[in-house]
Amino acid sequence: MSYKIPIGPYHPALEEPYTLDLICEDEIILDAKLHIGFNFRGIEHLAETRNYVQVVALMERVCGICSNTHTLTICQAMESLLEVTPPPRALYIRVIMAELERLHSHVLWAGVAGKLMGFKTMFMTCFALREKVMEILQAISGNRVNYAMNRIGGVNRDIADPAAILTMLDNLEREIVRKVIPVFTTSSTAQSRCAGVGVLTQEKAISCGTVGPTARASGLPQDLRRAAPYAAYAELDFSVPVETGGDVRARLLVRALEILESCKILRQALSKLPPGELFTEIEEIIFPTGTATSRVEAPRGEVIYSVSWEEDSDNPSRVHVRTPTYANMPSVRWMVLGARLSDAPLIQASIDPCYSCTDR
Amino acid sequence: MNAIMNNLADLPEQLGVDDPWVEKGGVHWLASDALNVRTLANMMNAWHARFVTITASELPDDEGVRLEYHWDIGGQLLGFPFFVSGTSIDSIYDLCEAADWIEREIHEYFAVDFQGRDYEPLFLSAGDKLGVNLREEDE
Repeated sequence: MSYKIPIGPYHPALEEPYTLDLICEDEIILDAKLHIGFNFRGIEHLAETRNYVQVVALMERVCGICSNTHTLTICQAMESLLEVTPPPRALYIRVIMAELERLHSHVLWAGVAGKLMGFKTMFMTCFALREKVMEILQAISGNRVNYAMNRIGGVNRDIADPAAILTMLDNLEREIVRKVIPVFTTSSTAQSRCAGVGVLTQEKAISCGTVGPTARASGLPQDLRRAAPYAAYAELDFSVPVETGGDVRARLLVRALEILESCKILRQALSKLPPGELFTEIEEIIFPTGTATSRVEAPRGEVIYSVSWEEDSDNPSRVHVRTPTYANMPSVRWMVLGARLSDAPLIQASIDPCYSCTDR
Repeated sequence: MNAIMNNLADLPEQLGVDDPWVEKGGVHWLASDALNVRTLANMMNAWHARFVTITASELPDDEGVRLEYHWDIGGQLLGFPFFVSGTSIDSIYDLCEAADWIEREIHEYFAVDFQGRDYEPLFLSAGDKLGVNLREEDE
């Protein structure tokens, strides 16, 4: 006999509010339904009431983890409308901020995964590592969540102490290679909870339109930093880790390897950081009528902004945001089919979901 | 024009459209009244394009809703605008599973009916009024 187990919207197994209705027979999941919208703040509608300065600050609040991604994407869209190009130093600082954000996001997620698989020591290890990245972000921007780094035409602040970032990178990389990757790939706890669990086949990953590490863990080598480079990524050398297993272990591994690639990108960006201005001076900002689209590879995958403006208007006429969790979340339904009920929290967390982003 | 767009040069003709690609802000747009959204979705599937999203915008003076469909081929973003003068357009959900949530969202926020599919509530609760969140406030 099958029965429905409703989990959420507020539940210890979920990091954020949403509802997962699991249809089970014994301990096996036969189907799942997802319900979102508990974080709806009407941000797209609010954006239509904000000017070009205010809208950047507003969109930074779409998400508390990838806040920099949102300001970067909307600034790129507005720069496209205005036909403004940021100076080279600003493009490199944008890369540095984006990769620091990816580092803290991926390390945070590794900690959450550790907690959900019953590996509390790994949770505490990862959060201690993440704190080092947060300290760097705070030193650069003065903030731990909303960094306010991006503006139309460039960035608001310089990187005052590149050496501090390099020292942090050395420590982080050493700990990831020495502790996190070996534990996640060889410990019996991690193996039993992750290997072969929550499989998303490549075929299903394609049909669901999944993005980011979730797609790359199912064998899809898509990454906007490589396929459609923005900021200074075209000038930097890095690999796009891809795994073919499609299970929770593959998603863990892709993110762990991406941490190492982010360290590699950051070292290059810091060593190549060109001198010059932080932003392009614009005498008077007057938007033409039109729509511009911008995409950024956020820690969880592709973020796309579509920004429309009417000439002589102070505010955008439309701002549409499609976040990576929005693209990835429907695939959870397929990941949990046939899985054990006890694995559901870890499987849904393995896409690194963000409902704040999704609901907007 | 890049290599991907060179390969896609014949796509307008395959879609039965006379209009050319127009590049704007890094997006290649194909705008034509002759475009059919389901033919387009089938063609995008044949090209192994990745569905990205649909952006809905309410047009002024009750002229309807503009829907911009986006697909990605090898990092190249393609855009296809459609104008919904009434309240409905064909669904592509059966051809493109990835369009499920965004069709449901636009249905709830803009009261656009995607014909040929059933809806389950996404953001709203069952029975909530459609088209209230992102419609103009004076409506």
